[in-house]
Amino acid sequence: MGVTCVSQMPVAEGKSVQQTVELLTRKLELLGAEKQGTFCVDCETYHTAASTMGSQGQAGKLMYVMHNSEYPLSCFALFENGPCLIADTNFDVLMVKLKGFFQNAKANKIETRGTRYQYCDFLVKVGTVTMGPSARGISVEVEYGPCVVASDCWNLLLEFLQSFLGSHNPGAPAVFGNRHDGVYGPADTMAQYMELFNKIRKQQQVPVAGIR
Amino acid sequence: MADVLNVGVNLEAFAQAIGAIQALRSSVSRVFDCLKDGMRNKETLEGREKAFIAHFQDHLHSVNRDLNELERLSNLVGKPSENHPLHNSGLLSLDPVQDKTPLYSQLLQAYKWSNKLQYHAGLASGLLNQQSLKRSANQMGVSAKRRPKAQPTTLVLPPQYVDDVISRIDRMFPEMSIHLSRPNGTSAMLLVTLGKVLKVIVVMRSLFIDRTIVKGYNENVYTEDGKLDIWSKSNYQVFQKVTDHATTALLHYQLPQMPDVVVRSFMTWLRSYIKLFQAPCQRCGKFLQDGLPPTWRDFRTLEAFHDTCRQ
Ligand SMILES: [Zn+2]
Repeated sequence: MGVTCVSQMPVAEGKSVQQTVELLTRKLELLGAEKQGTFCVDCETYHTAASTMGSQGQAGKLMYVMHNSEYPLSCFALFENGPCLIADTNFDVLMVKLKGFFQNAKANKIETRGTRYQYCDFLVKVGTVTMGPSARGISVEVEYGPCVVASDCWNLLLEFLQSFLGSHNPGAPAVFGNRHDGVYGPADTMAQYMELFNKIRKQQQVPVAGIR
Repeated sequence: MADVLNVGVNLEAFAQAIGAIQALRSSVSRVFDCLKDGMRNKETLEGREKAFIAHFQDHLHSVNRDLNELERLSNLVGKPSENHPLHNSGLLSLDPVQDKTPLYSQLLQAYKWSNKLQYHAGLASGLLNQQSLKRSANQMGVSAKRRPKAQPTTLVLPPQYVDDVISRIDRMFPEMSIHLSRPNGTSAMLLVTLGKVLKVIVVMRSLFIDRTIVKGYNENVYTEDGKLDIWSKSNYQVFQKVTDHATTALLHYQLPQMPDVVVRSFMTWLRSYIKLFQAPCQRCGKFLQDGLPPTWRDFRTLEAFHDTCRQ
């Protein structure tokens, strides 16, 4: 895999989430991007169970268990700012067994689904972020396959993003700064999705009609 | 009738000359008839001889006469115009049935074409000789004599020498690592890894570079049985483009007498791709054009350009 940038696209003024997504995908198709199936990234939140909390009364840590259709045989477990564990999909079953220690906050389940586009060496995924029944925002993921070092191609990625995001200007993802010359990996992408989902969870529900 | 005049043939004299040829032929055959018949029966041997000689003389005289007549006429006929550009084929223009057999006009066309072809081929050969694409010294000399002499010095270098040249280049560029192997006998294969940007497979023949393939840093460069994969191309368009440019560079850098300098120049040029994703185009100032970064590197300045932005 190459270097990936995940960012949130604000909903266009006076438009619904779906209309903004359509606007984006039409721009991509005009650019010459080709549709290549669909994608899905989901994320479940686990609380550390109260019974296992330390006697010092520290706050329970949150753990996120995520899946990405780009890696159908893997399951990702992440702590905020913490390590990322990449496991087989059996990991979900293990989490059920560990419910004495980790409790699934079912209401917090969040996911993004949408269409995958290929343009030259770029892979673009525009998704609608939903939490429960409601659409909460738009995710835009751009992967540049040939490059493996994030800091090498950020400017190039930014130029590409601006060619179809219009006035919206995404900043460099935090994970790009972590390892300056390290090889970019799938865990870095999942960390970006985790951040995006956390940001969207905190936002107010989008108060527009025409959602799904 | 202008054509006829051009051809320069006196048709009347021509007809007479044909008559004269016929006369000559018959008089000559009479000579041979006379010889064949020999001496006819006469009363006396002396008479026989006399009559034979007289006949023979008569016949020879008539041959002489006919021959003189033919020579006189042939001067009248005139030469069938040697200054005609097509020589005797120019006579085709006399053919009265142009519509049915347009041989003459076709011939003129063919002649013009072949003239043009020769002219252009001459020009092309002159130009191509100035910018020869042949890279090895053994092909430089046009004369067949030189070829076998040049071959041993430049094409058959000891493997140890090749190893030395490559390891010196390897030490020259810290961000570039070169791994040399010889899976197929004496010819070396190099796997060049440039930073975390790209990998290049270089197929050598002695110290000449025969083929290069550029792939991504995260792409597989080995076949299933663990050998260097010298045939399959990169999955990414950007590296396919760089492969094309690298092949162009192989043809550009040539110095048949100093193959080690050529390899070093090529590697220096290749090293400029360390900033493949970081250098904007020196002409349009952008990173992307049609989804590709600036894939071209100038051979002298090593500046980055898009393929379509280079001069
Ligand atoms: Zn350019």
